[in-house]
Order: sequence, then C-alpha cells, then structure tokens
Amino acid sequence: MNKTVFVTGVGIISGLGYGRRVTMEALREHRSAIAKIRYLDTTLDLPVGEVPYSNEEMMDMLNIHHDAIMTRTALIGKLALKEAIEVASLNPSDQRTVFISGTTVGGMDKTEQYYLNFLHNDNNKEYIKTHDCGICSVMIAEDYHGFEMMTTLSAACSSAANAIQIGMELIQSGRCDVAVVGGSECISKYHLNGFNSLMILDKEQCRPFDSTRAGINLGEGAGYLVIESEESVKKRNIKPLCVLSSCANRCDAFHQTASSPNGEGAYLAMIDALKEAGLQASDIDYVNAHGTGTQGNDLSEGNALMRVFGDNMPYVASLKSYIGHTTSAVGGVEGVISVLSLLEGYMPISLNYRNKIEEHSFEPLHHDTIPHRLEHIMSNSFGFGGNDTVCIFSKIKEDKI
Amino acid sequence: MNIYIKSCSQISVQEPLCNKWFTKPIKYECPYVRALDPDYKHFINPIAARRMGLILKRAMATSLTAMKDSGIVMPDAIITATGLGCIENTEKFLSVLCEEGENCLQPTFFINSTHNTIGSYIAVNIKCYGYNNTHVHRGISFESALLDAFIKIKLGKIENALVGAHDEMTPSFFTLLDRVGFWKGGFAGETAVSMMLTKCGDIKIVGVEILYMPERQKIVDVVNKICSENDIAIDDIDLLVTGRNNNDENNMVYDDFENIFNMKDKSESYKNIFGESFTSSAYGVCYAYESLKRGISPLGKKVSKVLLYNHCENKEHSLILLTC
Repeated sequence: MNKTVFVTGVGIISGLGYGRRVTMEALREHRSAIAKIRYLDTTLDLPVGEVPYSNEEMMDMLNIHHDAIMTRTALIGKLALKEAIEVASLNPSDQRTVFISGTTVGGMDKTEQYYLNFLHNDNNKEYIKTHDCGICSVMIAEDYHGFEMMTTLSAACSSAANAIQIGMELIQSGRCDVAVVGGSECISKYHLNGFNSLMILDKEQCRPFDSTRAGINLGEGAGYLVIESEESVKKRNIKPLCVLSSCANRCDAFHQTASSPNGEGAYLAMIDALKEAGLQASDIDYVNAHGTGTQGNDLSEGNALMRVFGDNMPYVASLKSYIGHTTSAVGGVEGVISVLSLLEGYMPISLNYRNKIEEHSFEPLHHDTIPHRLEHIMSNSFGFGGNDTVCIFSKIKEDKI
Repeated sequence: MNIYIKSCSQISVQEPLCNKWFTKPIKYECPYVRALDPDYKHFINPIAARRMGLILKRAMATSLTAMKDSGIVMPDAIITATGLGCIENTEKFLSVLCEEGENCLQPTFFINSTHNTIGSYIAVNIKCYGYNNTHVHRGISFESALLDAFIKIKLGKIENALVGAHDEMTPSFFTLLDRVGFWKGGFAGETAVSMMLTKCGDIKIVGVEILYMPERQKIVDVVNKICSENDIAIDDIDLLVTGRNNNDENNMVYDDFENIFNMKDKSESYKNIFGESFTSSAYGVCYAYESLKRGISPLGKKVSKVLLYNHCENKEHSLILLTC
C-alpha cells in the first residue's frame, strides 16, 4: 500500500486574479476572464485569459525592482508559490522539501522580444540566460531558501500534472517529506501563433463539450500545491486540506498533436489513476475535465470518459471557458481549483454549453448543482504528443488525522 | 530490489553507435562540433526522415539500438531529458515570427518544437502507451530523468524504462550561448544517449541523488549515506567521473570534492571527449558503464565501483553510484 500524501497548501493565479478566494468567488459567480488581449504585444486579435497584471505590477506585488531580469512565467509562478507556502505555513528549516515545476514556454516571452538582438548584438543578452525551462524554476524558487532539490518537467499541457506525480513519488519513496509541485506559464506570442497556425483557437469564448465548439482560448497562470507525507503533517502539526490519492500518466501514442478518437491514452491514465488510488469508477463524483474546446480533444476525452464510467457518468465540467487553457500550468492551476472545490463542496460548471456532442452519452455540468456527495475529484491534463495525466484528489476520511 | 543499466547507446562527436571513443577518441581543438551522424535508413523510413530534425533522428537511432541491445521490444516507460529541446525547429518558427511577423507561420515547426516532441515521437513510433515524461532542468536534466526511472522501478510501478538524454546545438544557438559565456572552458557538443534500465543486468545503479545548492557538508553526508546504505566503503570506489573541463570556476567544485574524499588520483572526465551540453552528463554514465563492463577505465584504472559527480553552475549537483 502506498503512503498517503496530503495536500497542505495551495497557491493560484490566473485570468481570474490572484489567490484562492478571488478564484473561487469568480467561479461561483460564473465570471469568465476571457477577453481581448491587454498585455501581450501581438497583432493577433483573439480572446485570451491573461493574468490581469502587467509585469511591473507583479514586480511591485513581489517587491522586485523593475530593472530585474525576470520573465513573465517566473513572476506569475512566484506569486502562486508565495501563496502556497503561506497557506501551508512552510518554513525553510522544515523537513526535506523539494520543488518540482512544469513549464514549456519558460523564458520565451523575452526570447521572442529580443531574439533579433540575441542573433546580432549584445543588447539584452541577459535574457539569453533566462530562456530555458529550468532557469524558470530557479527564478520562481529563489525567494524561498528551503528547497533541497529542484527539477523541471516539460510535457506540453500536462507538464504541471507530471510535476505533481514526480513530487508524489519522491514523497512515497521516502526521498523527501514535502514537495511543492505544479507549474507556471505565461502566454507567449510564440505559442499563441503556434496554436493559431494549427487553426485551433476560437475567436469567441470557448465552448467545451458543445457540439458547436470551435477551439481553444489560451490562458496563463500558475498553480502550486504543497504536498507532504503523513509523518510530516503530524510533525508540523498542520491541518491538511485533502489527500492526493493518485497521479498517473500514459501516452496516447497516436499523433504529435491529435488525440486518438477512442482516447486510449486518456482512458489508460484514468484507469491507472483509479487503480493506484484504490478506487472504483463509481467513487469519482466530479471530473475536472481537460475539455479544451477543440473538436479533437473533447470528442476523444468524452469517449474515454464513457469507456471508464459507462452509464454512471460523474459530473464533468471544464474550466477553460473561465480561465482559458493555461497550457503547461494547467495541472497546477486546475489541481488547485479541484482541491478548493472539494473543500468548499462546490462544483464549478462549464460555461457556454448548449448542445450535446452527438457521439457522447453525457452533457457537461452546466447548471449549479448541489452534490449529494463530493469526496473524490478527478483532474485531467492532456498534452501534445498524447501526454495524458490524471490526478485524483480526495476528502480526508475521518479516521485519517 | 536492484536496478541495472542493461544497455547504453550513443551518438556524439565521437563515432556513432559504437565504443571506439573508449580506446581511440577523436580529439577536437575547436569551440563547436556537431555530432557525427550514422546512416539513419536502418532506423527510420527515409520519407519520414526527411521531415525530421536531427535531434529526433538521433533519439530514434539511439533508442532503437538501446532497445535491441537490451532485448526489450516494448519499454514500460519512455523518460527523456533535454536542456533546450528541439531548438532547430524552435529557431525556425521563431525566425519567421520575428523577421516576417505573425501572418505567414506554418504549424510544422511549432508542432515539432516542444520539448516533449522527442519522447512522444519515440512513443508514437513504437506504439508505447506507457509512462512518458520529459525532464528539462538545466545541467541535471539527465540525472532527473534517471532518478524518475529509478524511483518508478523501486516503487514497482514499472519493470523497465528507456531513458534518453538529447540536446542539439545549432550554429546560431551556439553563438547566443557563447555571448553569455556558456561554453567557457569546454567545447560545445550535442547529446544523444539512450539507455535501458531494467531489474536484471550487470551494471547496477546503486544510487542517484540530486541536490540544489547544497552546503559542502550536505554533499559529504549524501555520499556517506549512499555508500553506507549499500555496504560500500568510500575507499573501495575506484573511479570518480566528473564534469571537469578547462574552466577553473567549474573545476574548483570538483577539486574540493576530490580533496574531501581523497579521490584526486581516481578522477577521470568525459567532457574532453564528448563536449558540453545541458545533458552531457549522460556521457559520464556512458563512460562509467563501459569502464565497468570492461573492468578498466579509458585511462587504465581497474574499475568495479564508479562514483559520478556533476554540477551545473554550482547550483544543481548530482551523484550517481554504479557498480558491477
């Protein structure tokens, strides 16, 4: 039997704002952050879910000098990490603590701004050093002096979920007591244009699991969870928020960008996650679906959900119409929201849903509904290359702590 | 439960997919060398190969070789390390974006520019539905991937794993990194290493540790811990493999380590043979693996226990202990 891993802290920033309270408030009020681009320097006119602060404003929030060499992904990440550490009352002297973060954009926001300089002269060359994904984690973590180990994962849109899994296993294998896990990603011109060239961006607010869905709205954000062993929770005398019951990853092995029609990778990841958590499909009360709003993902994910849950489909909803697709950060951002949903007994609904997908047997949750039970939430993150990761968050049983 | 490296395959600035480097390494005097590519037609359909970047071709060739040499046709997991990912395609997309604006971009380069393109390409090609992850943490990306595989096998989640380290270096990215002194003391190389980790074999991975900004004492404690937990006396380690190059600042860290453990005479290095990249420490494991298999190091030391020590800018440090 695997060791129980508890969630003891969460930190979040997204288009809805900074912090767990504003996030849940907006979700309860069905407020979407998807709007015209304000901060990114682009000629494309597409709705996105930008974090509602400029870099300078975030620097002020973090007491960082405006001249500092800093990327947007790092700034967003720093804010989310700060909240997570505060909520968990984590101190650098506490326990063996690691930091595992997911990103793909890394410092691309600055690279795309200064790339021609990089090629031809020494101007802005400091930003060459902030390009790679790993340095992004170093910058995010530099204010907290208690990490014994650090690493970075990049599996496109399942990066943060994969980071959660690595942290969980480091705890289960006894290599650390506490892991701060999740991911951070800003919108870059690079991937906005990349997704645009694939013609999978919706010009309106996205409509996950709707038959008329026309693509993604990109978002940005960061979400970190503090997870720790039972011994560490007891030793630190802290009240855990919930249990991280499992985290499983599989590959769809189908195509670099498209999902297989039957959602094989997603199906296998969900089955593995249930097995590892020691749960039956019928134990899952709510699925925080990946639900990007593309034709391919939603059809494939829905088909995989039908294979896993059959006639007992739990409530399924996508958060993409509130915050957009936060790409590499999504497992962290939506993982935090899943934890908060469990704590508050509130199930966020899908916005903009009208028409059922013909092939699907279910509709996403689209009216506020009071759950008769909300004990286990499944959170899906699926990425390019068929990288499919599923985390299950569970309420703490009475006999546990 | 023991974990072994069952096979190890490399493409580098040395002769590809073989171990000629061990006895007759090609010597380089220039700051930047591209890897020597084998004939890829044995590994990849030539029509598909035309659309693939070098990093993908190399990853396929080393992966298929490591799989064949290990006798494992379908790994339980594909775990990839890359410091910079598919930079050739990244640059192609970026150049059009920066030079021609946002109106004429094609998706092909974008699709093949994410870091996990490598791991998923292998998975799609061999139809591997298993665990697939990509570690991208600077100079310890490879150790991070190795640790991931090591822990997953220990926890019983998988039986074996294909672990790869892949980085390519384009002329323009070489220039960029040169501007910020990245190559100080070494020459730029490219990395393509694949190895199969299994539960049976000859070369045992005794321990893998990654540390972030450790105090000197912490490093000492961790070395002692790995050794004592495995009933190995530190003095029995007969080869130390480090990421030493010609940069004094980099080497100071290794000098210090060698002095603490009295290992100066046991120390050898690989960057002079394979060059530098974020994932070049994977060649350190190739070096140790081949030395253990032969029972003798390239410089003639008798070898049965090898400690590998690597650091990146004195921030990230890693330790790997291998025995036969």
